Amino acid sequence: MKRNDLLTPEGTRDLLFEECKAKREISERLTGLFESSGYSEVITPGLEFFDVFNGYVRDFPQEMMYKLVDGKNRLMVLRPDSTMPIARLAATRLRDEKLPLKLFYNQNIYMVNPKDSGRDDEISQCGIEILGGDSARADFEALVLAAKALELCDEDYRIEIGDMGIFTELMAEYECSVELAVNTRNWIETKDFPKLDEYYSSENDGGFARAFKALPRLFGGIEVLEKAKEYLHGEFFDQKLESLEQLCEDLSKVIPKEKIRVDLGLLSRKNYYTGIIFRGYVEGYGQPALSGGRYDRLLGDFGRDAGAVGFAVNVEAVARVLLQKNGDNFKRSPDVIVWSETPVLALKHCSELIAKGCCAVNSVLGSIEQTREYAKMHGIKRIDIVNNDEKITSEEV
Amino acid sequence: MENRKLRIALTKGRIEEKAVGLLEKIGYDVKNLREKGRKLILSIPDEDIEVVLAKAADVITYVEHGVCDLGVVGKDTIMEHGGKFYEIADLGFGKCRFALAVKKGTDFFAGYGVKTVATKYPNVTRNYFEKKGIDVDIVKIEGSVELAPLVGLADGIVDIVETGTTLKENGLEVCEDVAPISARLIVNTVSMKLKQERIQEIVSHIEENLK
Repeated sequence: MKRNDLLTPEGTRDLLFEECKAKREISERLTGLFESSGYSEVITPGLEFFDVFNGYVRDFPQEMMYKLVDGKNRLMVLRPDSTMPIARLAATRLRDEKLPLKLFYNQNIYMVNPKDSGRDDEISQCGIEILGGDSARADFEALVLAAKALELCDEDYRIEIGDMGIFTELMAEYECSVELAVNTRNWIETKDFPKLDEYYSSENDGGFARAFKALPRLFGGIEVLEKAKEYLHGEFFDQKLESLEQLCEDLSKVIPKEKIRVDLGLLSRKNYYTGIIFRGYVEGYGQPALSGGRYDRLLGDFGRDAGAVGFAVNVEAVARVLLQKNGDNFKRSPDVIVWSETPVLALKHCSELIAKGCCAVNSVLGSIEQTREYAKMHGIKRIDIVNNDEKITSEEV
Repeated sequence: MENRKLRIALTKGRIEEKAVGLLEKIGYDVKNLREKGRKLILSIPDEDIEVVLAKAADVITYVEHGVCDLGVVGKDTIMEHGGKFYEIADLGFGKCRFALAVKKGTDFFAGYGVKTVATKYPNVTRNYFEKKGIDVDIVKIEGSVELAPLVGLADGIVDIVETGTTLKENGLEVCEDVAPISARLIVNTVSMKLKQERIQEIVSHIEENLK
């Protein structure tokens, strides 16, 4: 039998040295931001019951979950999403805590991607959830925090805002089959213009065809919201567009206007999103680095009626971009290597150096010659030799 | 990751020829594309654009990962491979269709038995029969699929049909159309947002020249 003991599973990887450092750097920047903004950290189990992610509102695709069974033969999964467990938490252990609750997390999620697609099955996410509160205010705070988070990751970022509610309302008024609704959502989400143009070729249906075809084309700067008024009519849409406009305008007082993008064709396959949804992009990563939105039905699905909004940053993806752009900052060799006949003396000297703020490494090699060679190989510029009288000689390499 | 050129991936072969013709019509200097030798990345003189040549499925992979911003690929490959990208225009060339074909004079849907279908496109086939609510056994064939029903391996085939000549010469006939196919312009979802103006400029040039 072939043993798989020398490989990591597809979609996973060992992180080494500067990769770890860059990842830790990003998660420290983000958790620092969230903590100083008054969010409390939660950690949910890596293993959860399948049922947490399965239902009408919680509809994580089952073929994308890593599954196993517990001692009672119940179906379990490796956590594929952090929002659903946090909603579970809010409805159970936190049920007596008054809302609003502001939580943050920094943990991995797991999903099964198609074979050979080069996508990560293990994704480290750092994110927030605001449970309860006034939804307009909470949305605004989430967006501001998302923009700040992106800025901490990469200066060259864009934040893009859409609203699930527009599509949901259109569909509710249109009254079509579930299948057509799902198809239309997919066509809009993937900007499949040929398919939309083909299916909605007749425009004598009260403006629905026009609206469905317009949604995915309505993306760009904030001015898009003004243009959208040509296609979306009625009190609901007037209000919706107005509140989106307000949101963008408020946001433009906090971050540069050109960083704010709008895409009314931005939809999510996640059934739990109900209001605004947003994505963050950074130059150098081909997928969204941040994604989030408002989910007003998810907590109710666990038995606690409350709205919520949240987002997560793909920490490792951002860390990779950071490494690509300024990897040299993460490749730091120790300042000094210390060698002595007597290990006690070497370690003592190391401690003194470290206390002074040096990065000092104790040589565990048997001779000074070997130590010199090691220093050369690892780019360590200085060797401190401690003799038995504790006298120190420094050598440049 | 300094600002690299806008990168367009073209599916090698027939789609490539048509796509290069389209780029020429728009007004790009395509001499490098015409005299490409064995080069895989080709620049367009005086434009901030480079062209990558790849196999159909790879065009999707490159665009999906964002290393190419735009791609030209057949709907057949999109249907078989799927993926996350924007599919923004039907380029109108490379037209053909997916069809279910059987031996002349036989009825694929007759009887209770589970039918066997041979194909180079197992995902397209599975989705098609799933939608119809019919259980079939799917056998993946790498070469000429027409052979499978002739030698008795399958009851029918799902394959790309252009003129139908190959089917006819081998005593097969189309039983049902599965889906129309043509070349599509696809765009990476992040590129579309970060390089919106440049991409929309190219796309509108392309759309003008399609009419």
